[in-house]
Amino acid sequence: MADKGKKKRYALVLDSKKCMNCKACVVACKAENGVPVGKFRNWIDEEKRGSYPRLLMTFDPGQCMQCENPSCVRVCPTGASWQRPDGIVLINYSECIGCRYCMIACPYDARYFREDLGVVDKCTFCVQRVDRGQLPACVETCPSKVRVFGDLDDPNGELQDLLSTRRYLVKKPETGNGPQLYYLL
Amino acid sequence: MKTIEWGILIVNYLFLGGLSAGIFFVSALATYLQEDGQPAYPRIARYGAMMAPWPVALGSFLLIFDLGNWYRFYKLFLHFRWESPMSIGSWLLLVFTGITFAAFYAWLPEEARHRLFAWLPKRLAFLKRFDLDLSSWRRPLAMLGFPFSIGVGIYTGVLLGAVQSRPFWNTNLVAQMFLFSALSTGTAALILALSINRKSLDFKQIRFLYTLDICFITLEFFIVLPYLIHGELSVRAVQEALKLILGGPYTVAFWLFFMGMGLLLPLFVELWEMKPVLLARATMHHNKVLAAGAAFLVLTGGYLLRYIFVYAGQMSSFR
Repeated sequence: MADKGKKKRYALVLDSKKCMNCKACVVACKAENGVPVGKFRNWIDEEKRGSYPRLLMTFDPGQCMQCENPSCVRVCPTGASWQRPDGIVLINYSECIGCRYCMIACPYDARYFREDLGVVDKCTFCVQRVDRGQLPACVETCPSKVRVFGDLDDPNGELQDLLSTRRYLVKKPETGNGPQLYYLL
Repeated sequence: MKTIEWGILIVNYLFLGGLSAGIFFVSALATYLQEDGQPAYPRIARYGAMMAPWPVALGSFLLIFDLGNWYRFYKLFLHFRWESPMSIGSWLLLVFTGITFAAFYAWLPEEARHRLFAWLPKRLAFLKRFDLDLSSWRRPLAMLGFPFSIGVGIYTGVLLGAVQSRPFWNTNLVAQMFLFSALSTGTAALILALSINRKSLDFKQIRFLYTLDICFITLEFFIVLPYLIHGELSVRAVQEALKLILGGPYTVAFWLFFMGMGLLLPLFVELWEMKPVLLARATMHHNKVLAAGAAFLVLTGGYLLRYIFVYAGQMSSFR
């Protein structure tokens, strides 16, 4: 992540089967980004199935998908929601008027409204850390190594390894947003 | 986190914006159509011009009030983003509101205009030079306003329809549905205005409004119907979204109060009132109570349509 100038495409690969719902990622995110009480930039969905003794319980981490073709950016009337060349979707707080159209347009319901500032907010892939060459807080803290963060355009990177040797899915591809969170099967 | 972000203020705005668009459209039509060089339906033209600016002005105020940072609303007009229906809509709204106020001024009777300027404090006396007779502008303003009234009427639907993530909205029929509903509520507001007036109903003018409203309601009905059929024959996400009005929480509101009392009942009443004309026999009923009742039902139906769509749409999503 050090060589500047080269084209990058940040993405996140998740191996949900390793997730044990400890919510360290949620806490780390809140601490790193000062997310207000009651609001979340990331979360873990829980699904229970079957009845004793045939049971299944799965955990599914979710957050902003940092889409290739984000509808939140498209619908924003002031251009406050924008996308960096490396794919990270951000919000320019001073341009945000708080109309919340982007929240409605997000198929993943990944955005939340900050009543105190009157603006919309969401996961930023921890740009402040990534730009220093660090990993996002959720990735760094995850004790069971569910999350792998990296550059999709790096041919020797870990993401290319995983995505070319493992089967994966993306969520709600039918909305055409091109989500960049890859869930390993 | 799934939350309802657009609430009752947005419902009110969508209704009021559409109402103004409809009133202005009908008033402009009544101004444009002439007989012997005079507007063919002068009362409709004048009432419409007097009524049109207020709902949209109030609606825009509500819209701004709904923002997280209301004082930043001016930023909408520092950008033009053609991909964002809200950006296009706010520009349309700005121009349309300007035209409605200009038309209002052009239709203001001379005495009223003089009285208005008489209220000015001495320091603002120089504004009296604007005490002009603009009655020759009425027709050009009407024609200029046509595309903008249609634009404002239809954009409220585009605003909702252009969102891929909400299958309840994401169809090209919502825009047309909102447009015809807007035109119909505008016509109804004018019927209401004519019928609560002390003057007796003018046969020619009320017939014009009934004819328009019957057309608009019929068009609306034949857009709601394909919306339902199309949705049921669409992908699973749309079928699931339609369950909100087909067995879900908005079923009664949609079928009984919108479809039944807000659309078909007033259509029936208006057809009943037009029966003598349609059957080419005898005279109109001239029944003010029926006229006002039908108009009231149309207005309620239009409001409910917005309410149901705003809320149900936000509850729908892909799995």
